Amino acid sequence: MKIAVIGIGQSLRGDDAAGLETVRRWQEEYPETAARPEVQIEASELPGLALLDLLEDVDAAVLVDAVQSLKKPGRLHQLGPNELSAFAPDSQSAHGWGVAETLQLGRRLNPALDEIPIRIIGIEAEQILMGSGLSQAVNEAIPSACRAVEQEVNRFLSNANFKELGIKE
Amino acid sequence: MKNIEVPALARVEGEGGLFIGLKNGKAVEIRLDIYEPPRFFEGFLRNRFLQEVPDITARICGICPVAYQMSSAFALENALGIKVGHQARALRRLMYCGEYIESHALHIYMLQAPDLLGKQSAFEVAAIAPDVVKNALRLKKIGNQILKAIGGRSIHPVNVCVGGFYSWPQAASLTALLPELEWGLQASIDCVKWAVTLPFPELEIDYEFVALHHPDEYGVIEGEVWSSKGRKLSVQDYETAYIEEHIEHSNALHGRTVDGNTYLVGPLARLNLNHAQLLPIAQKSLKDSKIKLPLRNPYKSLIARAIELVQFFEEAIQLVKAYKPDGPAHLELKLKAGNGAAATEAPRGLLYHRYQIDGNGLIEFAKITPPTAQNLPRIEADLFALAPKIVSMSHADATLTAEHLVRAYDPCISCATHFLKLKVEEIEK
Repeated sequence: MKIAVIGIGQSLRGDDAAGLETVRRWQEEYPETAARPEVQIEASELPGLALLDLLEDVDAAVLVDAVQSLKKPGRLHQLGPNELSAFAPDSQSAHGWGVAETLQLGRRLNPALDEIPIRIIGIEAEQILMGSGLSQAVNEAIPSACRAVEQEVNRFLSNANFKELGIKE
Repeated sequence: MKNIEVPALARVEGEGGLFIGLKNGKAVEIRLDIYEPPRFFEGFLRNRFLQEVPDITARICGICPVAYQMSSAFALENALGIKVGHQARALRRLMYCGEYIESHALHIYMLQAPDLLGKQSAFEVAAIAPDVVKNALRLKKIGNQILKAIGGRSIHPVNVCVGGFYSWPQAASLTALLPELEWGLQASIDCVKWAVTLPFPELEIDYEFVALHHPDEYGVIEGEVWSSKGRKLSVQDYETAYIEEHIEHSNALHGRTVDGNTYLVGPLARLNLNHAQLLPIAQKSLKDSKIKLPLRNPYKSLIARAIELVQFFEEAIQLVKAYKPDGPAHLELKLKAGNGAAATEAPRGLLYHRYQIDGNGLIEFAKITPPTAQNLPRIEADLFALAPKIVSMSHADATLTAEHLVRAYDPCISCATHFLKLKVEEIEK
């Protein structure tokens, strides 16, 4: 079994780094889970379509990314991939290939991807200015985002029928 | 007809807006708007140690990190008066092969092909021709695998340093790529055959093409800066002929020649100026395609990209087969104050860096001129040239035709501004 934990974002663009920072701190705070042989950790700045490569040969995945949905900064979103496009219409944005768009394309081309449970932990961003570091609200949300990662990974690890999880929620 | 306005351009890297103001059936105003703090990185690099620079500049662009980190590495090596050895140089070229393969496969199939096939997006292309999109993703992945094998990571490679590489990659991890590279070579030959059949809009522009030229290889990492108007300069003299200026509506600087002309960098410029240096299989693909050079239709830069795909697969295979790491992967650095410039060809065109360092190796000054900033005035001028053709179209078709033109440039708005927004609008009569 292989579970991918993927932090996504740009390290020099303010709160956009929230996904990368969460995965980094989760590794520090939950070293035992992070060191499990089933767990494969990736920090990926702007993966775009390469996200599909990161999901190849995995049995489950937890993606951690900053989101902007006009909610309170620092708010956590825990979603399945079907819920993602509802608030992130990436195809009309200019950010290349976002997570929602990439997963949609991947599932269209490869129905097997539908069978992989994917959980997305989104952290509501306040600002994505160049080089500005995490905002206070987002920084304060990182510990609960780490707990959410831990919870999702453990759920995948402990549930023999983990393929039933995730995408239908 | 109404003004054309596209608040956010889809399928463009970064964020851009295009505005075309129409009056009495004529375009009177065209603005390509850029919404990103433009020179952030140049300031951000100041007072950093030179060895941090390649890692930071790699983050300017998620699509062409290699070009950004490599231009900075070469420029800083020039400032220190050192030159990397043969194998390190070859390995750097192999990294460019990976970056071009990835970037061109993405642009050809996922970004521009939908326009030529009358589809809204790659999703629609995937619905009618899933194998085309699957092949595109496979091509793109090969590029990614090259970068991962050498760079340590597929996005923002971390193995490149001033003086060479932190460590030599394993030969086995490179030779393992050969079967996929051979497949990719054939797929890219087929891509050229397919590309010439696409229904490109008619538009011929008398460009001044500017690209890096090297007498012994397809110009990518070293050489002179050549212009189709006959200007030939060393990279050190680049700034004497090519300048950047602030434009009111744009956060990005716009490039001009010292004579005040616009110029074009990118695949068309490279192919037109450097086709004699293509490797034999790429040369044959060009000949078989029966296209006549110079190519002057901006939409047909897709064909130039396809021929370059052949070139970079062919070259990657040669470089992997010839790979023989020997001695230390990087040179010892002896710090000294200095000034160094370098230009390399990013997939989108010539990318120029210049740095001034002090005796401790700290950055005192950084200048980064991305390809899209150089092309921005040219894109606007092309839109003016296109305007008479689109005023008789429906608003939707006109918008699409204008957007397609901008997308054909593959503007990396994140590097130009390093972000752009495209918008087309209409002024009341």
